Amino acid sequence: MSRYTLIITEKPDAASRIASALDAEGKAEKNVDNGVPYYIAKRNGDIVVVPALGHLYTVAGKKRGERGYPIFDFRWVPRYLAERGAKRIRTWLNVISKLAENADKLIDACDYDIEGSIIGYCILKYACGGKENTAQRMKYSTLTKEELEKSYMEPLSKLDFALIEAGLTRHEVDWLYGINLSRALTTAAKNYSGKYATLSTGRVQGPMLKFLETRERTIKCFVPTPYWNIKAKVKINRAILEAEYKKNPVETKVEAEALVDSCKGKDGETENIEVKKFQQKPPLPFDLGSLQSEAYRLFRYTPMRTLNIAQSLYLDALISYPRTSSQELPTTIGYQAILKKLGRTREYTALTYELLSKPGLKPTEGRRKDPAHPACYPTGNLPDRSLNSAERNIWDLVVRRFMSVFGEPAILQSIKATLSINGNLFQLNGRRILEEGWRRFYKPYVESANVILPPMEEGKKVSVEQVVLEDKFTTPPSRYNPSSLLRRMENEEIGTKSTRAGIIQTLNNRKYIREERIVVTELGFEVLDVLKKYCSTVVSIELTRKLEERMNEIQQGKETRENVLRDAIDILKPATEQLKENEQAIGSRLSQALMKARLEERVIGACPVCKNGKLVILRSRKSGKRFIGCTNYFEGTCKTSFSLPQKGLAKPAGSVCKSCGWSTVRIWIKRRRPWNLCFNPECKLKVERRKND
Amino acid sequence: MAERGFCLVHLKAHDNIVEKFKFWKNALTISWKEYLSEIEQNPLTGEWSKEIASYLISNEGT
Repeated sequence: MSRYTLIITEKPDAASRIASALDAEGKAEKNVDNGVPYYIAKRNGDIVVVPALGHLYTVAGKKRGERGYPIFDFRWVPRYLAERGAKRIRTWLNVISKLAENADKLIDACDYDIEGSIIGYCILKYACGGKENTAQRMKYSTLTKEELEKSYMEPLSKLDFALIEAGLTRHEVDWLYGINLSRALTTAAKNYSGKYATLSTGRVQGPMLKFLETRERTIKCFVPTPYWNIKAKVKINRAILEAEYKKNPVETKVEAEALVDSCKGKDGETENIEVKKFQQKPPLPFDLGSLQSEAYRLFRYTPMRTLNIAQSLYLDALISYPRTSSQELPTTIGYQAILKKLGRTREYTALTYELLSKPGLKPTEGRRKDPAHPACYPTGNLPDRSLNSAERNIWDLVVRRFMSVFGEPAILQSIKATLSINGNLFQLNGRRILEEGWRRFYKPYVESANVILPPMEEGKKVSVEQVVLEDKFTTPPSRYNPSSLLRRMENEEIGTKSTRAGIIQTLNNRKYIREERIVVTELGFEVLDVLKKYCSTVVSIELTRKLEERMNEIQQGKETRENVLRDAIDILKPATEQLKENEQAIGSRLSQALMKARLEERVIGACPVCKNGKLVILRSRKSGKRFIGCTNYFEGTCKTSFSLPQKGLAKPAGSVCKSCGWSTVRIWIKRRRPWNLCFNPECKLKVERRKND
Repeated sequence: MAERGFCLVHLKAHDNIVEKFKFWKNALTISWKEYLSEIEQNPLTGEWSKEIASYLISNEGT
């Protein structure tokens, strides 16, 4: 092959799609060199498309193998030099370097965002012999043939260096925070206990844990207070309706009971009926955060899962680039063409026909902008493979949201009827949809709004069936879930759209938090307490937001990388000094928390025999066998024990046996479906099964 | 350990219990002891507040 154009993509899937789109016949030739795939497309000359594997370069300490902290000198190195298990990267980089040698033109076609820009920049700079200043840049938001061809024919003449500079700074600052603080915590615990356990924190991880910890403390210290709600069950045209006392909640029981007594045996009368019409505007187009929130609300998909699904739909050219913060849909995406293409699917035919019959298409848009990408929208392409149910759900959601933003506002009517029962005012609330508008396009994802009231007239008597007094208590604030935590971070402007979901996962992996409705563990409390006590600046939400703003300003040319790095080091230097000086005390606290966390992982539940001990999964020192024992055994007060299967993995299931109510253990054995085991030998279900056998 | 023999974590819970008593007294005309017993058994009471309530029940005289 003579000279050619070399295109670098972020992932293998994107390389295959770009090569096929650019090949004159749509059939690029796949080659594999040492396990690294690359594609040759023919189109007025040869085009070679080679993928990266995400980030091939990373930040590492200047001195190789340096173990201590603090470290403030760093460099960018191939990942195989900094990470275990990244040997494959060496071969990958060799293949890219070889292909770059004979290329007469290089084009960076990685995703047009911070991460993609760094991936392309590092490859061009370090693996292609310093071609970062001469390379061109493809910019696209969908992997459709039309858009890829256009972005190839009209590339940007140079890389987006402002975006790269901002991205490099972000990675470097994150590395400085992560390596220094995480090493300080891990080293303190290891030096104290002699046992290694990864304890991490970071620029965003710390403040995120702080949100959670503050909420957890409020819940743990919560004291409910009583109040009363009064409701009247009234009969209107044979329908029984519940009217709320207008002055709910009532703060004292005496007052509430007196009110109920005064209503007893009395009829009511409709005093006033207020009917109002109002508009409900169409929703905004999806940015990543709102897509993740909606997918969690509707399907309970975690933000990470939604991002992964959306990424795979993007690589299949079914939706546009999902890592966007834009709530805008520019006309250039071609609304009509997309709707026409979507109309080929039976479920969307009538809806798209209706939209296409409108004299003009104007989407409802939000304020948020993204210089690189529009809001997430369907490309109009139909799946050319069978989508799994999760992928189909997300695709359908994106399609229906896209259609609904072009819909008319819905017109709703609210009815408030005030009833007087012996002078006490109660209210009936009704709502109905007069014109569905955009809601028709967003079915089944839109909640039903109808609460129909029977026809009523002012001054008419109403029969009161019953007046009910409800005992109530104030409730603690609700726990964060992955979706609400993500929204909180978005509102606080901490972290980036691409990294937030991953950080929630890291907090889970480190065992600082658990469960879907997030609970902070003792280890999480301890780590945050240490950080708050010895280096509160690193968990300060205010400081983190300011640093975030300054990193964004680099992208706008208003701030420099050097300034931001210098200031980050100024924060970290005293922080690491404090952590080092107090290593012994920190190590003791963290080691104890780790020990508790390890024990907590093995706790199944309360001991059903002694009642105050805990049943834990243990291993016998003599036989090495696994069994369940009571923690009071060590005090010499309870000898309860139960046997367990010796094969596979056993962990507390966190649920109870439906038959006997004892806690259960989840067992995983290779090539078998995991199951929950009830270890109660007297469990009725077991006894029955034994009899049947 | 902080003042009144509670660690900082439980001190906040203790303060909450003391503060909320006036709302309970107003709402139900209830004694301190009855109040402690109510919140100890209420599923909405936070874990640390429950611990303090139990402690106060078993350690406070009439």
